[in-house]
Amino acid sequence: MIGSGTSERFARTAHLIPSSTVTRTAFALQTTPQVNEPELIARVLAGDRLAGRELYDAHAPRVFRLAYRLTGDAELAREFTQDTFVRAFQRLADFRGEAAFSTWIHRITVTVVANAMRKVRRLRERETDLDDLDAVRPAHSSANRLDPDLRDRLANAIDALPDIYRITLIMHDMEGYTHTEIAEVLGVAEGTCKSRLSAARAQLRSALADFATEYES
Amino acid sequence: MTDDINDRFDDLLREAVRAHNRPPDRQDMPLDEMWRTIEAQTFPRANRTTRHAWMGIAAALVIGVGIGRLSWYSRPGHSPAADAVAVARADSSQRPTSAIEAATQPLDPTTSRYLGQAAALLIALPAEANVSTPDQSFTRRANELLLTTRLLLDSQSGSDPAMRNLLEDLELVLVQVVRLEKERSPSRRTELELIQQALDQRDVIPRLRNAASEYASDD
Repeated sequence: MIGSGTSERFARTAHLIPSSTVTRTAFALQTTPQVNEPELIARVLAGDRLAGRELYDAHAPRVFRLAYRLTGDAELAREFTQDTFVRAFQRLADFRGEAAFSTWIHRITVTVVANAMRKVRRLRERETDLDDLDAVRPAHSSANRLDPDLRDRLANAIDALPDIYRITLIMHDMEGYTHTEIAEVLGVAEGTCKSRLSAARAQLRSALADFATEYES
Repeated sequence: MTDDINDRFDDLLREAVRAHNRPPDRQDMPLDEMWRTIEAQTFPRANRTTRHAWMGIAAALVIGVGIGRLSWYSRPGHSPAADAVAVARADSSQRPTSAIEAATQPLDPTTSRYLGQAAALLIALPAEANVSTPDQSFTRRANELLLTTRLLLDSQSGSDPAMRNLLEDLELVLVQVVRLEKERSPSRRTELELIQQALDQRDVIPRLRNAASEYASDD
């Protein structure tokens, strides 16, 4: 619940957040209007829901995009975006401003989605066959213009990647996050992030190797 | 496989990866819907009164008071702008420095931020009907936005006809929002309902959002 005395503490320490943090946030979120986030956060902590809405407007589209990429399902993306913001607002007093707010909220998003998707996958494995899985996959992407066989096999290959590879691949190759941003969100070194991406791409190439042979012929 | 074929296959793969689970465009995202759920769980005050109760009270009051207001506005010699000017005079002595400073900064980021704040305030407006006493921070915010609106109307932004139109609509709405502080329940609820009607009829919030995203994409 928002509105505790922590807002005062945050307001007092907000000026301690280096200005580079705010700049980095604006850079990371290219579609985000420039906002004074430390001030907004202090207002949210004081129970100001308008400030909450501003903070939400600044970050929700990118959070939703990431959740959608990770789940491939509009309903799940919606649910996970909601969960992310509810958790973020509830734990806002714990946000110390050491990282950018965008990093912090994306870290929550990845955690929420990864944890929930494990349950979703288990349920899907029990309750649906592969045809049903194909039916829930979104149909409006430009992937439809690609060879349907490649599209389906690629989707399966991406789904089969270990979470740490899949998340890195999605964030970097699909959503355009830099290695620095991904490393901050996942709490790993940049080198680790690069090697994970490399491994993910190698696994995809390997999974589609016979398609490459067909492509060659 | 030759290097050339390898590269072409990698390109195809990259294209396929980018197209995988492609999310909808921003305007198709259920942003308001998600916010309502988040707001209900995080800022519960907004839900103190049930929607049904609010709609019932509002519907009854709007019919009666709406007719009265229509006859008031249609009387000869009345100009809605006069209200705005009156409030501007009353407020000019207490303009917050931040608003003036904001308007003198480079225009687009400031305008984009202002438009976002205005949209956020107006979206939260219905929740204001659920509280018996005015929220001071809400009114203060509306007052600051009103001052910024007027500064923008006098600035370069005001020379663009579409923007000017939007700013003028916004100014009139914000004047009424600022005046809410002096209203007492239930007339306050009636005023809120009238403001909401004006917002709906003139598509103020969608226009604000479009303008905000245009300014943001110009950055």
